Amino acid sequence: MSGATLKASHLIEAVLLASARPVDLDTLSSATGLPTDEIGSALAALAERYAPENSGVVLRNVAGGYQLATNPACSFAVERFREEARPAPLSGAAYEVLSCALYHGPLTRGAISRVRGVNSDAVVRNLLDRGLLAEVGTDRESPGSPALLDITEDFLLDAGTASREDFPPLDSLVGEEELARVRERILSAGESQSPDETL
Amino acid sequence: MTLDASGRPLSDFTVELEVYSGPYEWLLALILKDELEIFEVPLRELVGLYLLSRNPQDPNALERDTDFAGSAAALVLLKSRTLSPILEVDAEDLDEEIITPEQLAERLAEYMKVRHGAQILRERFSASAGHYPTAHTLLPRPGRLRLDPERILDAARRSFSRPAEPTVRHLGPITVTLQELVSVIHSALMGGPVSFEVLIKDMDRLHSAVAFAAALSLAQEGRLGLSQAEPLGSLTLEPAE
Repeated sequence: MSGATLKASHLIEAVLLASARPVDLDTLSSATGLPTDEIGSALAALAERYAPENSGVVLRNVAGGYQLATNPACSFAVERFREEARPAPLSGAAYEVLSCALYHGPLTRGAISRVRGVNSDAVVRNLLDRGLLAEVGTDRESPGSPALLDITEDFLLDAGTASREDFPPLDSLVGEEELARVRERILSAGESQSPDETL
Repeated sequence: MTLDASGRPLSDFTVELEVYSGPYEWLLALILKDELEIFEVPLRELVGLYLLSRNPQDPNALERDTDFAGSAAALVLLKSRTLSPILEVDAEDLDEEIITPEQLAERLAEYMKVRHGAQILRERFSASAGHYPTAHTLLPRPGRLRLDPERILDAARRSFSRPAEPTVRHLGPITVTLQELVSVIHSALMGGPVSFEVLIKDMDRLHSAVAFAAALSLAQEGRLGLSQAEPLGSLTLEPAE
């Protein structure tokens, strides 16, 4: 490791340690005065030093930036030290709402409820409180201009991903065979009904 | 089990569920306040917990069972309503709400994908849990807040527009005053304590409501006494000592 790289990694390490939020490359560059390519090699060195098997602190590439955080393997000690419990796990309904926002967002509360088939307002409210969803605009085409909801930086942090592009495409989540089977069952049930009985 | 000081037979019933742990009455309150999703609450498990806590020898067992059956039935109704598909009530939109089997299949396929996405999210969130960043938080940077002029305009329009006047057509003319009812109460108390039901026997709803307000007002001023043997029981007005 060269002296220049060591110095760059020190600077980046110091900036990341002082920030609770992920810091993107441009901000790191402007804070340290280093060119982006040098920051890239310094981050690679830091990633090795802060690999989970080497340290109680890990370097994360999350939410479009870099962040130093405690190693999850040490979380029990941190939680005991801070005298705080881990946030309550999200419910199945909450994950479904987040999935709607991730793959279809920004979208309105009504659109979420339509996808899920049940009213989701209470779940959305809880997710807004937890900072995993945010209102990012309004749908001017709909009556009353309802708020549009989308995932937040906290969502990416909690999911441990750099961006929404890290998730598999929606259409790849369910196999064509399974979808065809469902369609066939519904259509065959529909054919057995008279047109007046259509849902 | 005996009835506790609160007079609520279920006040000592606590539950241990995955989504909630604590007094049953608080669980009901959280559900009613939409703090907890009703369809996250396993009602069957809840009933099982109640049956485990039940003591048939308890002198208040019947009252306790009745209370639980009533609240559990309300939860079942609430849950079934929540899980029912959303129906548009607007008759003009009724045609649009008719779903063909093809559309239903399409919707179900979309939901299945979202549900699989939810499963992936659950795994990602679980794998990522336990990362704690430094506790040091930076002050917000001036000028980093993005303001959308259109949203500000919208907010201003909403703030400065005058809401429509609510209609009062359903309200009849007010034909009684608090003072009149105070006189009625004083007259009634001349002969000693009187029950509120007797006092309002010949009154309409408006007079009854004002009489109740007058009685509360007089009681607050110490000009009469109010007694009620049990919650929601008969109310008796007594002359001040």
